[in-house]
Amino acid sequence: MNAPIGDEVARVDLRHDEGVVTARQRARDVAELLGFDRLEQTRIATAVSELARNAHRYAGGGEVRISCGANAMRVEVVDAGPGIPNLEEVLRGDYTSATGLGRGLVGVRQLMDEFEIEAARGTRVRVAKRLPGPAPDAREVRAELARRGAVNPFDEVSRQNEELLQALGEVRARQKAMLALNRELEETNTGVVALYAELDERAQRLRDADERKSRFLADMSHELRTPLNSIIALAELLLSGKPPLASEQATQVSFIRRVAQDQLTLVGDLLDIAKIEAGRLELELEDVALSELLVLLRGQLRPLLKDAGVQLRFDFPPAEATLRTDEAKLIQVLRNLISNAVKFTPQGEVLVSAEVLGPRVRFTVADTGIGIAADDLPRIFEEFVQIPGERQKARQGTGLGLPLAKTLVGLLGGEMTVRSTVGVGTAFTIELPLRHDVDSSVPDVTGAVLVVDDDETSRYVVEAHLRDTAWRTVAVAGGEPALAALAEALPAAVILDLSMPDLDGVEVLRRMRADARMAAVPVIIHTSRLLERWEVERLEGLGAHVLDKSRTSRSQLLEVLSVATR
Amino acid sequence: MDRVNRIPILKLGHLLLVSIQVDMHDRMALALQEDLAERIAETGARGVLIDISGLEFIDSFIGRMLSDIAGIARVLDADTVVVGMRPVVAITLVDLGLTLPGVRTALTVERGMAMLPAPTVDEDPGDEEAETAGP
Repeated sequence: MNAPIGDEVARVDLRHDEGVVTARQRARDVAELLGFDRLEQTRIATAVSELARNAHRYAGGGEVRISCGANAMRVEVVDAGPGIPNLEEVLRGDYTSATGLGRGLVGVRQLMDEFEIEAARGTRVRVAKRLPGPAPDAREVRAELARRGAVNPFDEVSRQNEELLQALGEVRARQKAMLALNRELEETNTGVVALYAELDERAQRLRDADERKSRFLADMSHELRTPLNSIIALAELLLSGKPPLASEQATQVSFIRRVAQDQLTLVGDLLDIAKIEAGRLELELEDVALSELLVLLRGQLRPLLKDAGVQLRFDFPPAEATLRTDEAKLIQVLRNLISNAVKFTPQGEVLVSAEVLGPRVRFTVADTGIGIAADDLPRIFEEFVQIPGERQKARQGTGLGLPLAKTLVGLLGGEMTVRSTVGVGTAFTIELPLRHDVDSSVPDVTGAVLVVDDDETSRYVVEAHLRDTAWRTVAVAGGEPALAALAEALPAAVILDLSMPDLDGVEVLRRMRADARMAAVPVIIHTSRLLERWEVERLEGLGAHVLDKSRTSRSQLLEVLSVATR
Repeated sequence: MDRVNRIPILKLGHLLLVSIQVDMHDRMALALQEDLAERIAETGARGVLIDISGLEFIDSFIGRMLSDIAGIARVLDADTVVVGMRPVVAITLVDLGLTLPGVRTALTVERGMAMLPAPTVDEDPGDEEAETAGP
């Protein structure tokens, strides 16, 4: 229903039958408010009723506008219908229709003071009744009408109904859109799930292949070492045996021995790499005096220089220092670097130096050799990579030395870097902590969750999962520090990785179970290795829960923790 | 909506009593016309009393409706009396030029009752006359 404007006090829509009733009631109310007596009220209302009905019946709707002018109450009824064909006749009162239309219009003219009709396009009838007294303010009339509940309940209900239908339509449309969106999302989701499965499968295949490679290397190394050792032993026997060999033969046999020895070194390197990758290489930590280490190294390397035009110089540190590390592994690394340097330095010198920098020690092996091109630098630590070149061709190698050296340095808790300029020389730097177990100064794990993992990311993930929970976490980077911590205090639970370079998870678990004091500590194996059924059963036999690292969610972790510590 | 918006028709002995208390819209008026015809045929009522004391307006349509009801009732062998018309309504009707042809009127219900036929000995609603006079 439109709001009235100006001196208009009421407006009634005639689309529905009930509009006619509303129109005459509204007209009666207005007439009453304007001070008309009962008879006039009835006359006005009846007139409005006639006009409103005409609009409703013959034009299918229209509008009644009631206004209070300065000296008259005015009613205008407009419609958009076909108009009145024989208006003149109707108004003369000569016309009588079957429906009583003619009589109505004539009657209205009698009931009202003023009567005007336009019936060109649509019909517009204006009628007016002179006011009996002074005109009240239109606003007051409107307010009073509103107070009387000027809104016809039927109109109100049908308006609300229309609004509801519209809202319903909108809701339906939205629902449809949502359904479509949902379907789309589901399809995308299916795609993503399929993609994930595929990725999982590929990752699994890669892991399998990697593991097979490591196992193959380990197995083959063992198989190769045995005959090589025999060859070397037999060659020694021949060389030192009686009767002595002819000089020609002795030279040949010593060649055999040298080749076998080289081969044995290579096989040893392979085995080391395999062990590291399988997480089975164990460090033997001991205190080593820095100067002794260098002296030992010098002794071992002297034979290398016999026929080379290279000078090997050792620069001893000014102050004595003691290093806690695995001496054999460190020497293996340095020897590898030095022999490499000698190999690729046709002329000049190789300088080996060591200096103590706070809690760390830095070894440098610098040569004046052929150098490595900047493009090749990142690749020299990759397995089986050899940089092509004259000098490299002359010096056959496996490409295992540097990768192994770097991995070993990592195991010892240090890092290796390299700087090089082609034609000027190369410098390898190794920085090691003075005490490899410095960071494993035993943390207090009482009541906490001990996270044991060599991989920093994995430790971080577990700690992040348990942040903001009741669990406090203490993380250590390997099996040895874990056992050290366990020896001091008992945690609420241990989250244990399986593949760790110093001491693997199964061994840690076995030792814990063997120790009566920590046998009851709940252990959750957290591994990315895909375990065989028997492996899982063995771990569970040792009282451990097993979680797959690659798909552990926070809730899963918390659930297993609460089950394990029950 | 139709059920709710019907004017009730009461049976009072051999008479039907209709009391219009609300301002009827046109559909309601037409429905009353139909309902009443049906009830007359159904009950064999001899008289119909229509109380319009509640009506504030009678325009040409309602007026014609009342005439029509009286006409239909007469064909169905029942007399119709409209009672209780307000004076202002009467004046307006005349102003409007309506005369309610065929409609008998009375001022009050009692007077209206008196104008209708007295109950016959046979008050059985389903007498033959009503049936033969059925539509």
